[in-house]
This record gives sequence, structure tokens and C-alpha cells, in this order.
Amino acid sequence: MSLALIAALPFLGALLPGLLIRAGRNACATVTGAVTALALLGILLHAPAVMRGEVITAQIEWLPALGLNANFFLDGLGMLFAGLILGIGLLIILYARFYLSTKDPMGQFYTYLLLFQGAMVGIVLSDNILLLLVFWELTSLSSFLLIGYWKHLPEGRQGARMALTVTGAGGLAMIGGMLILGNIVGSYDLTVILQNKDLIQASDWYFPALILILLGAFTKSAQFPFHFWLPHAMAAPTPVSAYLHSATMVKAGLFLMARMWPVLAGTPEWFYIVATTGLITMVMAAKIALFKDDLKALLAFSTVSHLGLITMLLGFGTAEAATVAVFHIINHATFKAALFMSAGIVDHETHTRDIKRLGGLRHLMPITFTIVCVAALSMAGIPPLNGFLSKELMLEETVHTVWLGNHWVMPVLATIGAMFSVAYSFRLIAHTFLGPVRDDYPSKPHDPGFGMWAAPALLAAMVIAIGVMPMTTVGELVRTTASAVIGGEAEVYISHWHGFVPALWMSIIAVGAGLVLLGAHKPLEAMWLSTPRPEAKAIFDAIMEPFANAARAVTDRLHDGALARYLAVATLTILAAGYFAYETGTHTPGTRALTPIEPVPAIGWLLLMGATGSLFTYHRNRLLALVLVGVIGLMVSVGFVYLSAPDLALTQISVEVATVMLLLLALNFLPKDSPVESTAGRRGRDGFIAAAAGLGIGALIYALMTRDFAFPTIAEYHLANSKPGGGGTNVVNVILVDFRGYDTFGEITVLGIAGLVIYALVEALLRGGPANDRLLAWVPDQKRAGDRHPLMLVVATRMILPIALMVGVYIFLRGHNEPGGGFIAGLVVAIATIMQYMASGFGWAAARQRIDYHALIGWGVTIAGLCGVGSWFAARPFMTTNYGYFKLPFLEKFELATAAIFDLGVFLTVVGAVMLALASISRIAIRAGETVNVEPFDIQPDEEAATEGAR
Amino acid sequence: MEQIAEIVISLLLVAAGIFGLVGSYGLLKLPDTMSRLHAPTKATTLGVGGVLIASMLYFWIFRDTLSWHELLITMFLLLTAPITANFIAKAHLHRFGNADDLPDTQTDHIWATFEDEAEELQPVMTRTTPKPAPPKADH
Repeated sequence: MSLALIAALPFLGALLPGLLIRAGRNACATVTGAVTALALLGILLHAPAVMRGEVITAQIEWLPALGLNANFFLDGLGMLFAGLILGIGLLIILYARFYLSTKDPMGQFYTYLLLFQGAMVGIVLSDNILLLLVFWELTSLSSFLLIGYWKHLPEGRQGARMALTVTGAGGLAMIGGMLILGNIVGSYDLTVILQNKDLIQASDWYFPALILILLGAFTKSAQFPFHFWLPHAMAAPTPVSAYLHSATMVKAGLFLMARMWPVLAGTPEWFYIVATTGLITMVMAAKIALFKDDLKALLAFSTVSHLGLITMLLGFGTAEAATVAVFHIINHATFKAALFMSAGIVDHETHTRDIKRLGGLRHLMPITFTIVCVAALSMAGIPPLNGFLSKELMLEETVHTVWLGNHWVMPVLATIGAMFSVAYSFRLIAHTFLGPVRDDYPSKPHDPGFGMWAAPALLAAMVIAIGVMPMTTVGELVRTTASAVIGGEAEVYISHWHGFVPALWMSIIAVGAGLVLLGAHKPLEAMWLSTPRPEAKAIFDAIMEPFANAARAVTDRLHDGALARYLAVATLTILAAGYFAYETGTHTPGTRALTPIEPVPAIGWLLLMGATGSLFTYHRNRLLALVLVGVIGLMVSVGFVYLSAPDLALTQISVEVATVMLLLLALNFLPKDSPVESTAGRRGRDGFIAAAAGLGIGALIYALMTRDFAFPTIAEYHLANSKPGGGGTNVVNVILVDFRGYDTFGEITVLGIAGLVIYALVEALLRGGPANDRLLAWVPDQKRAGDRHPLMLVVATRMILPIALMVGVYIFLRGHNEPGGGFIAGLVVAIATIMQYMASGFGWAAARQRIDYHALIGWGVTIAGLCGVGSWFAARPFMTTNYGYFKLPFLEKFELATAAIFDLGVFLTVVGAVMLALASISRIAIRAGETVNVEPFDIQPDEEAATEGAR
Repeated sequence: MEQIAEIVISLLLVAAGIFGLVGSYGLLKLPDTMSRLHAPTKATTLGVGGVLIASMLYFWIFRDTLSWHELLITMFLLLTAPITANFIAKAHLHRFGNADDLPDTQTDHIWATFEDEAEELQPVMTRTTPKPAPPKADH
């Protein structure tokens, strides 16, 4: 399986859960699992080759000019991480199926999870650092969605925001670092960068690049002082915490440090920054973890602590330490995922995660107790579990490390960290599961079903298996991965017994002291609680607040909801820019002679100006304004005819008719006059801006039309290629459906969306609220006509309908060669149909047709899209059209073009959108008390009583 | 022959022009809406109709192509112009007319409309009142 496909699979699969949730929760979880399993299979198929030391690559050119290509490669390191991401991902999917309650939107959850998974897989497979950055930012975004999954919890939203802010800011720093790195080497390809250690470390830019990249890695991996976001991200559902904080998100930072290890490590800067940060994080977080009562908070800080441990090992810069780091990454993923899931089980069953309210669960939840025991003992580093092995190796490495010439700092502090680690691990077991059974649990606890404990149990089994037979199970994997990290051959020897080496004594001290700490937990906790300590969230909020306020101030000032203001700002800016250009540039009058003014266009111009001027005076009378707008539209279309643009004229006229009709119908439910709402000064200002903009545009057009074109126009090409290339002699139509078909496709999509939005707005309006109440209490503000569906109109529109439809078909068919086309035909047919509705009423007419307008829009866009896709089958680019000449018996030779299919899509969308607008207006009318007549023509019923009384 | 055709076409065009001019003048000159209504209807039917027939004849005799467009346009015009005029008149009566000044409709209704006495079907009320919103969950 191609690596590009493996990286793309989760993203493609993310479309499925949202759809399949309708088939049930099991189907949803199964398909998510299947996608993940498929991607995992893809990785495993490459495993034998990678184990032999080969590197699998896949290259797709994306933006070669920027050096951004979709290049992927898979070596040992990538394989380990991809395996962890997808393997633990599978277990999480299983676990989440049973963890999420029926109230949680599961489709959404799995979609977010797959998006996140895809981003993670993308990071570990990328061979291009720019691509890696793209995936890096994607993990920040998708983890934001996952952490904030419970939108109703303020902690969830705030935690998600904090995580996004911290990791996003780190990501920005990393972009800078990566670009510097790419500049030093002259290539953005990771494989090339990894071979240029000397070049990079000799560069003056090495240090800034190192700092920026480490900022990215440290924020992602929650290293001191950026560790505070991780505990707050615990507001997420437990499957998310288990996934993000055991195997994926926070390991991304470690992955990056491991990936860059060959070129960045080995210098004193690297050692002192990375190893020191790791050490501080490890000890500090382990200490805090001991005093956390929330199960997940305890696990969160222990995660931070273990991340610090791995960071420190990578920071040592020796091949042996890097190998241990790799081994501990595997171990940590297994036991921490199991612990998180078990914490979720405890929370799920007892409805609390507060250790103080728990205890004595070992008899009530024996299976969970067993799993937690195995995983927590491994976390404490008790033989023969896997945590013991990596901790021993870690302690061994610290003994050989000198920090600022001091042999003692590293081993002592590491032992203290290990001691705290032992203490909180034992506390997790002792205070939650041991002790007497209590009778005040919020809910009666018992072991969950198999589905829920299967995943953590499997991980616990792995903890034991790796612990007992490390070389058989993961020895080869660690060797391959470590070789990839250090860029050479790694020596791997993992064993339980090394003799009476210092590490053994350190381990024994740590366990003993840890037990003492646990015994003295009560007094220690009192001491801890009485000492003041910085509250990370308060500090974070205090730092963020001025930024948020500044952003809000700017936004509020610019986006206060007054459309007139937006328009004024935009118009003035454009005017100022235009004036600036005019002032700073040179200007010579145009050279083209003006054509003489003919009387007929002059009359048309006067009419146009007259109507526009009258609009200024009469615009408060809305009906009159509408009539004047109609006059303007009509004159514009006459102008198009005069200037030999029949296509435009046809379109303009039909659009004009359709809009005036719809506006008239809408006007029925609007006040007939616009009230004066603004002051005279304000109107004067707006009038000034409008006049300036109008005159400016006029001047611009004048300037353009009095000159020849500065460049040869594209019109020549279109005129020359319309017939040979597009198969039509109507250049306008060929441009629409062929040359610029993609634009048209976008436009009809917008048109369809506009129709749907009108429908949605009306739907929201009628759902209740003040507007709906007003409609329900609607009293016509004007006397109604006696016959609302007059006989003459009904008969006439029936007669016109077939002829109008024929005209529509005619305009559609001739469109490719003569004025016409799908858009105009759609409007003509829509107008003919609207006439039927107006004559006999919407309810009556709608009962006599079976076309769903939503579907019409959908079909229109789909047909146009499929027509474009069809050209792929002929191995041509999207939306290449073709045409041919055909001969049928009894008929003349005729032409068929695929563009006609596209035009059909345009036609359907136009009809659907216009009719949907009509349907929306009629829904308002029906809510306002409009009745549906049984016969095609009838009289206004409510008028009768009054008239009878008048007689 | 051709000369006769030319004369006929010219006559049609001139007559159409006169109708158009008279129609427009009448629209300005006539005193009230009901009388004014006469002027533009003449201009659309006779005026535009004359031009269309002239155009049809011209293309048939001098260009040897029989164009049906004009016929269609004429048909649309003849169909819509009376209805437009009828609507304007109705709107005028509706807004400014007095029911007592009008002739009796001989029915129960104030408007003379087509009615099938055998089958008096009442319009149907289809308005649906939206359901009250469900009480908000308290969290």
C-alpha cells in the first residue's frame, strides 16, 4: 500500500462515521475501526522490509515551486509511531464504542478521531518538513475538537482552547525553525536534511533553529514550563485522553526530537536545554502527581513526568540513551493507555474520579483491579514488568552523565523522580482499590462489560509480555527504531539482571523511599496544601486576557453589525486607494476619439438617468421603488441589445422579470413605506460616499474606454477557439459552459446555496419567535381584491404554459450556437411556472406537481459536476468538453456536445433555486393565514362577509 | 409585385407608428385612469402588431425566410395585453371605485366571477401552528 494512501486513509475514512451513525452505533464504530485497521495493515505490510533496514518512500509533486511536496517515507521510527498511533487507535475505537453514552454524538467523535489520527500518521510519515508542519498544525486543530468534544462543559471548552493556544503557538515557532533548517540545507526534504549534520551544526543559524524547533516540540510534549495545558485537557472524554496522552499527540513532540536527533543532538546546547528541561519536568510533574486526587489528573501529571523522562534521555545525545528512550516510548504507551482507560472505567462505573471518595474497589471490580495493578506496577518500575526494564536502563544512563562537571546531579534527581513515580503509582492502587469497601460511592460499582475492559486488558497483557521476554517481543523493533533515530546501527541488550550496578541500588532506594512517602501521604499532603503554589490556569488566563480584549476591541469596532458601516469602510478604502493611484501615477488623456451621440441611445440614457434620479426621490414608497428598479433593469437590457450583446440582454430581462415577481410577492408582507431611520447628516454623508464611488467608477470606465487595450485581450483567443475548441458558435455560451465552465460550476453552486439559504431562513423564521407571532396575527394592511385567482389570468397562463415551455426548450437547445443557454432557459421555465402559481395560488399549484425543488438544485449541481468528472474517463482534465456530429435516419446531421449536459445542470439549478424562493415566500403566506383554494380560480373568502353587509 | 409588397409593408409600418404615437399621446392627454387605459392597449396591440406583421412580410418576400417568431410574439401580446388592461381596471375599481356605482353582478358576490353553482367548494385552511418548544433541560 502506498504511504500516501496510508496517510490519506484516515482523512477519507473521516467521511464515513458521520454517515453511518444513521445505521447505528455499532456500524459507526465498525467502519471507523475498519479504516484504522486497513491503514495499520498497510503499515504492517511494509514491516518486514523496514525491519531489514530498508526505507520505503512515496513521492507526489504538490507545489514543487515552493519545495512543498507530498513526500512520504517509512523507516523504523516512523513505523513504530505509525504502529502505535493506529494500533492503540484501534483499541481506543473499541473502548469508545462502549464508553460514550447514547446522548453523545458518536459520529462526530469518530470523525474527529479519524481526522486526528490522519494528522498524526501524516506527521510520522512525512518526508518533507513543510508537509510535516501542515500535519503538525492539523493535530493541534483536530485535538482541539477532540478535547472540546463535550461542548456543554466549560472545562472542556477552556481546556481545548488552552491546548490549542499553547500547541498552536509552539507550532508557529516551529514553522520558523523548520524554515531556517530548510534554508541552511537548501532542501525541505527530511532525508536530505538528516544527512547534513555537520553543515547544520556549523551554521550560525543552528541555535535559533534549535530553540524554535524545541519550542514546538516542548509545547506539544507538555515540557516545563509549557506542561500546564495537559492536565486541563483532561476535561475531554477518557478515550480522548487515553489516545492523545499515551500514544499520539504528546508523543508528537518526542517524535520530532527523535526525528531531528541525528542532526540537532550531540551539541552542548542540545544537551543542556533538552536534558535539563526533561529532568525538571520529570521530577516536578511526578511530585505534583502524588498530590492529585483526581484519577485523570494524577495520570496527566504522571504522563508529563514520563514525557520529561524520555525528553531527558533524548537530550543526553548518546546512542545508548536514545535507544532507551525508544524502549520507554513503547512501554509508556502500553501502560499509560491501559491506565487511562481503567480510570475511565472507574469513572464510568462509580461516577467519580476523586480518589478520596474511592477505595476498596478490588472486590467490586476485580478485573479492573487486575489491569490497573499490572499497569501501575509497571509505571512504578517493579520487576519483571516492562516499566522496570526501561527505568533501570534510564537510571543506568544518568549515572554516566555529567552535568556542568557534576557527577551527582543527574542520578540523584532521577532517583528522586523515580521515587515520586513509585509513590503515586502505589497510591493509585492503594487508595483506589485497596482498603475497606465503602458504602457511599456515588453509584454502585461493578466491572463493565467485556467490550470496555478488552482494550486495557490487552495492553496489560502486553505490559507483562514485554516485561518477561523483552528481547523476543520488542527487541528487534527497538533495534530498528533506535537505528533510525541515531542514524546508524544501534546495539540493543535488554535484560532484567545486570549485576549489582548502581542503577539497581538507585531503583531499590526509589521503591523504598516511595513506599515511605506513600505511608506519610497524609501529613505530606497537609504540608503541600498549605504551601502556596502558582495556579497555571489563572496565570494563563491573566496573560491571555489583554490579548483577548485587544482582539475583541478591534473586532467590535470593525464588526458592529451595521452593514452600512462595513460598506462605507470598504467603499472609502477603495476610493482612497483609487485616488492615491491617480495622484501618484502619471495620467494622460485617452487617445480614442469619442463617438457621436445618437438620438436613440440618448433617449435610453435619459430614461435610465430619469429612473435612477426618481428612485432617489421616491425610494421610500417601496412599490414605486420596485417599478423604478424594473424600468432601470429594462433599460439596461435594451442597452445590451443596442451594444450587440443578445445573451446578456436575454439574461437581464428574464432575471428582471423573475426578481420583480418575487419581490412583489415579498412586498406583500413588508411595510409599504420605508421609515426614516437615520439623521440628515448621516444620510448626507452616505450620499456623498455613494456619489463619490459612482463618479469614481464612471471616471474609471471613461478612462478605460477612451484608450486602446494595454495588452492583447483574451477575447481573440475565445473568438478563434469557440468553434474548433468548444464546438459552438455562440462564444458567450461556449465561455460559460466550456472555457470558464469551472467558474459557472461554482456560480450555480452558489445559486443553489442561495436558494437553500432562503428556505432555511424562512424555516428558522417560522419555527417560532416574534416574526412567527406577527404572521400568526397577520391582518392584511390593505383591502383585498374580491377575486384573488381571476378566471382570465388562470386561462391565459394555462394557454401560455406549453408555449413558454417550448420557448424554454428552444432557447436551451440553440444556446450553444445562438443566443440562449441553460441559464436563460431555466429562468424562462421558472417564470412560466411562477405564473401558474400566481394565477391559481401556490397551494393549489403545488398539489399538482411532484417535483421537489431541493432535489432539483441537488440534481442540477450533481449533473454539472458529473459532466465535469466524465472527462476523467477520457483521461482529460476536469471539465474538458467534447462534441461530435451525428446522423440519424430522417434527420439532418446534427451536433451533440457534452457541454449540453453541463448546461442541463445549470438549467435545473436555476429552476430549482427560483422555485424554492417562491415556495419559501408562499410558506410565509400560508403562515399568515392564506388558504388553499380547491378550484383553480376562486374569490377571496374573507371578503364576503364585509361585502354582504355592505349590500 | 415587389413594389406592391413594399407599399403594403410601408403602410403597415406607418399605421403602426401612428398608433404608437396616438397611444402615447393619449396616455398623457386622457383625463382619468379608465379612459387612459384605452390608449396604451391600442399602442401595444395595433401598433406593435403592425410592426410585427410588416417584419414578417418583409422577411418572407425579400429574404425568402418565413419567420414564425413574429407570430408567436403577436400571440403573446394579444393574450397578455387584455389581461393587463383588465387588471389595471380592476385595481383601479378596487382602490377608488364605489360598489354602488357598479352594475349588479346578479350573484351573491360583489365581483362577477366564474362560479360552478352545483359545487361550492370552500377553500382549505392549511396553516399549521408550530408546536410549543420543548422545555429546556436544566443544565
